[in-house]
Amino acid sequence: MSTLALTIRESIRYRGRSGHWSWVAHRISGLAILLFLTIHVWDTANAHFLPHVYAWSVDVFKWPPIALGEIPLMAAVLYHAINGIRISILDFKPELWKHQKRSTQISWGLFLIVFIPIGILMAVSMVEHWQSMGANWMHFPRLSDYPPIN
Amino acid sequence: MTTANVSGVTRRKVQVQTNFERWAFLFMRVSGLALLILAVGHMMIQHVLNSSSNLTIMFVAEQWNSWGWKAFDMLLLGFAYLHGINGFRNVLEDYIHNRQTIKVINTLLAIFAVITILWAGYAIASFDSAPFLGN
Repeated sequence: MSTLALTIRESIRYRGRSGHWSWVAHRISGLAILLFLTIHVWDTANAHFLPHVYAWSVDVFKWPPIALGEIPLMAAVLYHAINGIRISILDFKPELWKHQKRSTQISWGLFLIVFIPIGILMAVSMVEHWQSMGANWMHFPRLSDYPPIN
Repeated sequence: MTTANVSGVTRRKVQVQTNFERWAFLFMRVSGLALLILAVGHMMIQHVLNSSSNLTIMFVAEQWNSWGWKAFDMLLLGFAYLHGINGFRNVLEDYIHNRQTIKVINTLLAIFAVITILWAGYAIASFDSAPFLGN
C-alpha cells in the first residue's frame, strides 16, 4: 500500500495534460459526494426512526459553516455529472479519442456555465436567510432543545 | 474478430469475457445516466427550486406523502449508493495492491452498502406523513 503522502504527491504531479486534471477532479468530487451521501442517507433515515433527531440535524445543516458546504457539494455533483457524460461518450466512441483535450475543455466550460448562476443563486438565498435570522444566525442547535415527536 | 478503420482509429471487435468487472463497468455507465436525472434532479429541486434554509421535517412529510416521491428517492438511494461505493472500490483498488486486504475491504464495503440501502429504503417506505400533516 502506497503511503498517503506519495499518493497525494503523485496525483497532483502534472503528467497527463488536461485529461489528468479531469481525472483528479472526477475522483475528488466523487469521494466528496460519497462522504456527504453517506451522512445524508443515514441522517435522512432518522426522519422515520428518530424524528426529533432529524429535526435537530436539519438545523445543524443550516448552521452557517456547515450550510456553506452546500455550494461546493453542488459544484461536485455538477462537475461529476458533466465529466461522467464525457467519459461515457469517449468509452463507447473511440473515434472521438483524438478530441480528448477538446472534450475536457467543453466539460469544464459547460460546468462553469451551469454552476456559476446556480452557485450565485444559492449564495444569495443563503445570505438572505441568515439576515432573516437576526442575532441568532450563528446559533448552533442543541439536541436537548428538540423534544421527542409522537 | 473484425477489424475496422474508422477515421484513423483501429477498432477491434472482440468477444469480451463476461465477468464481474465488466458488469461493474456497465453499471457505472447505466447508473450514471439514471443519476443524471435522479441526482441532478434532486439537487435542482431541493437546493435551487427549494432552499435548504426552508428544510424542515414538515417539508419531508409533505414530499413523502406521495408514493411517487418515495419511489423517486428510493431509486436515487439505490443507484447513487451503489455507484458511489463501486467508485470508492475503484479508487481503493488503485492504491491497495494486497489481494487479501482488498478482498476484506470489498466485502466490508458491500455489507455496508447493502445495510445502508436497506435501512434507508425501509425508512422511506414506512415513513408515515399523517402525524405531521394532521390527517
